[in-house]
Amino acid sequence: MSARPEWLKVRFNREAVDEVADLMAKFGLNTVCREANCPNRGECCARRTATFLILGGNCTRNCRFCNIACGAPEPVDPEEPERVARAAAELKLRHVVVTSVTRDDLPDGGAAHFARAICAIRERLPGATVEVLIPDFKGDRASLDAVMAARPDVLNHNVETVASLYAAVRPQARYARSLEVLRYCKAAAPDGLTKTGFMVGLGETEAQIAALLDDVRATGCDLLTIGQYLPPTPQHAPLARYVSPEEFERYRRMALERDFRYVASAPLARSSYRAQEAVEAARARP
Amino acid sequence: MKIEVTMPKMSPEMRSGVLCAWLKGEGDRVRKGEALFEVETEKVVCQVEAERDGVLVRLLAEEGDDMPVGAVLAEMEAQP
Ligand code: SF4
Repeated sequence: MSARPEWLKVRFNREAVDEVADLMAKFGLNTVCREANCPNRGECCARRTATFLILGGNCTRNCRFCNIACGAPEPVDPEEPERVARAAAELKLRHVVVTSVTRDDLPDGGAAHFARAICAIRERLPGATVEVLIPDFKGDRASLDAVMAARPDVLNHNVETVASLYAAVRPQARYARSLEVLRYCKAAAPDGLTKTGFMVGLGETEAQIAALLDDVRATGCDLLTIGQYLPPTPQHAPLARYVSPEEFERYRRMALERDFRYVASAPLARSSYRAQEAVEAARARP
Repeated sequence: MKIEVTMPKMSPEMRSGVLCAWLKGEGDRVRKGEALFEVETEKVVCQVEAERDGVLVRLLAEEGDDMPVGAVLAEMEAQP
């Protein structure tokens, strides 16, 4: 692969990263920021934001783009939702983002645990908005109902990539199922916001991106993030190419033409990057 | 007070990092939060920020060196 382009440069503020890491350790919590080795950690920690990763550090799926360890699932910790709420309060978060590993081993996929986290955060931080970035729960409606019953402000579920790359990149997931998750959750709470994201640089074509944008928008999805795929290690799915900032801008316009309420499209845009801004911008729009 | 500038651990798996560029030289005054050097990681190039105000006294690693996490890269005279 060609040398790393100039625009993939970030600031690293060690003090801020250590501070957030210490706080998470104190509460016995994981963040996706750390587990996925997110390049934005320096910046997000400096703004004292992070995305909680619940239900353990090991995932039951083996997606080819993701850095999170695939391994034996850990026992569900009933105290975890409360600790998330306490850590969020200590960080004085105004927008709390919670995600999880995929737990295909649990009958409800961990949906009730998500719901408990939402409720615990609401209790401790009544003024904060809550975003959950959920797995597909194998499309199980009872699981989605359980999450939606807790009324998250933003229901986020990433399609991750175009339909044709699912087999290579997300072998245990289904494109249509992820769309159905978004559609179902929007229908369940039309006043709530739904959000999705995908990566580019995996070998998708612009026509495939256009089709994805149509499919996702047809579910009623409000918010969208588009970012550069960066292989966590050489053993992960190979990088097809680096997409330039100009192309990201074109993708952003393609998405806005389809009337998404908010679109973040940039090399280092991530699903939870500046998530508070995203929800504020979406809500400010008439 | 002399302080050591070390290679940060930027991800749980990181063992070492390639110092790809010094952004300040010996004798330069640096302010906390200014980018001091660049490290190549698996995903991006990280510009590591200075943690204190001070003067960079001595560089102990060269551009291109693969340095273990925690290794001393430079000495700084920190301003009180
Ligand atoms: S972009 Fe999201 S995952 Fe990355 S550091 Fe920021 S909050 Fe964490």
